[in-house]
Amino acid sequence: MSTLTALSVTEGKLYAREWGMLVFAFAFPPLMMVILAGVFAGEGFDEVWGATGGTDYYIASYLGIPLASVALTGLPVMLASYRELGILRRFEVSGVKATTVVTAQALVGLATVALGAVLVLAVAAPVYGVPAIEDPLGVLVVLALGSGAMLTLGVALGLALRTSRAANAIGMLLFLPMFILGGGGPPAGVMTSAMSNVADLMPLTHITEGLRQAWLFGDLQATELLWLAGWWAVALALVALVARTRRSFQ
Amino acid sequence: MTETLTSAGPAPAVTDDPADTVIAVRNLTKSYGDRQVVRDVSFEVRRQEIFGILGHNGAGKTTTVEIVQGLRRADGGEIRVLGLDPARDRDELTSSIGSQLQSSALPERLRVAEALRLFARIAGDVVDWRELAAEWELDRLERTAFGSLSGGEKQRLFLALALVQKPRLVFLDELTQGLDPTARRETWRLIERIRDHGATVVLVSHYMDEVERLCDRVGVLHEGRIAAIGTPSELVTEHGGAVQTRFTAHDADLGPTLAALAGVTDVHVDGTAYQVAGTTEAPFEVARTLDDHGLRPRDFSVLRPSLEDVFMTITGETIAATSREGAGR
Repeated sequence: MSTLTALSVTEGKLYAREWGMLVFAFAFPPLMMVILAGVFAGEGFDEVWGATGGTDYYIASYLGIPLASVALTGLPVMLASYRELGILRRFEVSGVKATTVVTAQALVGLATVALGAVLVLAVAAPVYGVPAIEDPLGVLVVLALGSGAMLTLGVALGLALRTSRAANAIGMLLFLPMFILGGGGPPAGVMTSAMSNVADLMPLTHITEGLRQAWLFGDLQATELLWLAGWWAVALALVALVARTRRSFQ
Repeated sequence: MTETLTSAGPAPAVTDDPADTVIAVRNLTKSYGDRQVVRDVSFEVRRQEIFGILGHNGAGKTTTVEIVQGLRRADGGEIRVLGLDPARDRDELTSSIGSQLQSSALPERLRVAEALRLFARIAGDVVDWRELAAEWELDRLERTAFGSLSGGEKQRLFLALALVQKPRLVFLDELTQGLDPTARRETWRLIERIRDHGATVVLVSHYMDEVERLCDRVGVLHEGRIAAIGTPSELVTEHGGAVQTRFTAHDADLGPTLAALAGVTDVHVDGTAYQVAGTTEAPFEVARTLDDHGLRPRDFSVLRPSLEDVFMTITGETIAATSREGAGR
């Protein structure tokens, strides 16, 4: 078993013991999906919702919500606490590079996101039924690009912020507006143009929009992919900048 | 012989021969911004000794040992650890070095067995982590989370983790900080066991009693400089000041007799209470003289200077010297 594998297995166990993070990754998205898909079950097929019903709109959108909650409320807190408590240094003196620890945490984040998405579907299926997936490959592409962008953003936050408290506060500050404006809250059709423009800047908006387009209409838009690729590039640049500023991740 | 390096003169040449010299540091310097924290530091650590680095908080101890381990880059100087350059050969050195850092921890929810298993795996499973757990009496704590361990248990775990790769050299930085006296003494016993297993130990501490009790040799760091190096005994002899002999004697005027004895430097008499200062030979001479006079005082005591006295003397002298230098500019 390689160091990365051993570390990822251990990190996975540790993540499973963090109840606060588990709630946000596994309970919050299905719960909110059930509520909103139920509240807007009678809505849809108009200029606000487009050519879909409210229930399907939220089921498709919420596939991407665990990604945002893990990337912004879980990963940065774990990473920042590792730096704050000297755990990264402890690993480094044993020959484990900080990049290996960060990669292991990102892999655990990815597995958590996948499980969270499956849970959304598992809860939706018996309650509302799951709409047919028109373009499965397109859904996977959006999830892959979205995961790259959001998890890298989470890594950048975790490395840039010096304490787990700061990571928690800033992570929540980013997550909540992104969640409300980016597909977890009201549909873009009811937003003012100003709020709609703000939402367009957020990576989660392009994840949920891309998921809906590929899933419900089989019409994945290149624009969404470009936005996500751009955000991934920005997140990678932020990680590089933090590493350069600090000379290392310690 | 005690070696004092208060001046920035040339240090002995560093050799690449790792046979007896495990660590060789020559003219090491390091600054953080405008603040110079390590100034022209030179020392050697020999195989299978416990070498102490003693100093106040902020004296440059941790920076020095982190540079020696290759965790920080030096601004200047030459370093060899087991014949290797730690900055260049860090990956190669990792398998030979065990380390407990001053400011490091483990995840709160990581269990003892998981920590031992993980770090043993990282080290290539060169030791059986279960044997290590049993040897360091951690087996009964295997399912306990790191965050639930007592201070002493945490340090025991750190010591065990420092040994998972069977290191030839172990760095222990402020290992007993915050421990109660019982846990500290237990930790001392464990440190001696590491050396008994054949490893060389570098112990960073600001506890004088700990260094005096454990270390074969000590380097005193003050304001980023090595102020003195030697065995604790050498340092006490060289820098500790006079040995004090105290007793009470009635019906005798011993002052002039005691003052004339070999090794006696000062005699203070306050009524019947005598305090005689001198070399390490002086108490024997005083005792013989008292015996010759038929006196065997029940309160006869000898107060030998401790490493703490040495430390205060050395750092005090340096502070005074620095003040004089500053005033002279």
